[in-house]
Amino acid sequence: MSTDMNTLSNIILVILMVILIVYLYLESRPKKPPREQYVTRVLIQCSSCGYRLEKDFEAGDFIGLDKGKCPKCGGVVKIRGIYAVEKSKILKPQ
Amino acid sequence: MDGDTASLIIQVIWLIMFFLIITGLNQKIQMKIWVTDIRMKLDLIKGILEEDKQKTKVMLRNLGIQSPEPLIDRVIEFFTIEPVEIEPVDIIKRMDHLIRITDTTVRRLIEAEIPHAGKYERSLVETTLSIVGALHVIYKVVRHYLLTGEKENNWILIMQLQLQMPQILKYVNTYHEAFDAFATGKPIGDGIGPLVAYRLIESGRKISSRILDDTSITEVWYKDRRIYVVKAEGPGSNVGHPGAVINRLVDELKGSVDLMITVDAALKLEGEKSGSIAEGVGAAIGDPGPEKIAIERAASKYGIPLRALVIKMDLREAITVMRKEIFEAADSTLKYLERIIEEHTKPNSTIIVAGIGNTMGIPG
Repeated sequence: MSTDMNTLSNIILVILMVILIVYLYLESRPKKPPREQYVTRVLIQCSSCGYRLEKDFEAGDFIGLDKGKCPKCGGVVKIRGIYAVEKSKILKPQ
Repeated sequence: MDGDTASLIIQVIWLIMFFLIITGLNQKIQMKIWVTDIRMKLDLIKGILEEDKQKTKVMLRNLGIQSPEPLIDRVIEFFTIEPVEIEPVDIIKRMDHLIRITDTTVRRLIEAEIPHAGKYERSLVETTLSIVGALHVIYKVVRHYLLTGEKENNWILIMQLQLQMPQILKYVNTYHEAFDAFATGKPIGDGIGPLVAYRLIESGRKISSRILDDTSITEVWYKDRRIYVVKAEGPGSNVGHPGAVINRLVDELKGSVDLMITVDAALKLEGEKSGSIAEGVGAAIGDPGPEKIAIERAASKYGIPLRALVIKMDLREAITVMRKEIFEAADSTLKYLERIIEEHTKPNSTIIVAGIGNTMGIPG
């Protein structure tokens, strides 16, 4: 009877040690938050009527660059901003 | 398994542990684990470095260099020796001299290889190479400490390096992400100062403009005040020399300046909101010294109030493509700037506003 109790307590001790080691290992692993995906967007704005549109960045773009004529009033459309936004927050064309 | 066998196993385990502790073998095993971990991370850094080097080679080949390797190797191994600090006399002058020689030399090396490329393209190549150079230095330093630690069996050195590896990897990833912005000329978070300056130029009535020392000075009439807007010449990758230029401008105006304001990006503390604005006193500029001291000297020489406006962000946001929330902070900063100007100066005053930072993607 006493031998069985001894064996049982030893087995429990070993199991507890294994659980402790696994727990410490899992706790010590770096927990990385999911990294957001960013895309670069260009905000163009008409200097006459204020019409705005967000587009994808093209090589050679910079703030203040002329991007043609406004589809609404024919005024000059310029790049007002270039910025990175999360993929999920991209503005859809209206 | 009977009770005797189980207790024998437990005893043997304890004996092994005792033996390991007494002989110090446990430390050696631990060191092996750390070394393996560092080596894995070092391989990761090497992979990133090679990827960015490859992208730079493609960029240079597109600009007409047949074999870009010698230029890359020469620029990334380029170094500047810091001036003697034990003798502080003229240290700023000496430091400024060395920084300017470094800039000029690297610029000339690139110019000699791609003489037909424009100033804009050359500036992008310059900063792209400096990013590859920074990654190269990180890789070499980590490798040095790893090999030294292994060679000398110095487990304290290995332990310190292993503990610092997550932070080092964070820096490496940040530089790697920044590469895209610098290779394509997109505005970065640090460009918020020049962006505010550009917005101010747009809002005012332009009187004159000129370029001095890679830095533009635009004189505008705004809110019944004469404002000299100083920023790095854009839209290439450039930080200019705002300190030296402000010093010269103040001397030209014979000190008749009523207010000087510097606008710059500042590293936020963890928990602070990105794009939040704070005001203060002093020169908001993060150079090694010469530019900052030039602004302070110009202000103190003539007793000009020197104010600072900072837009907060973390390092990743500062050197990667400008986030939308930081871009939107430019308009709020301009309003804040207007409020300071109206509170501290009267109509017809003369003011200097300096937008500090890299002006990539921002003209003027």
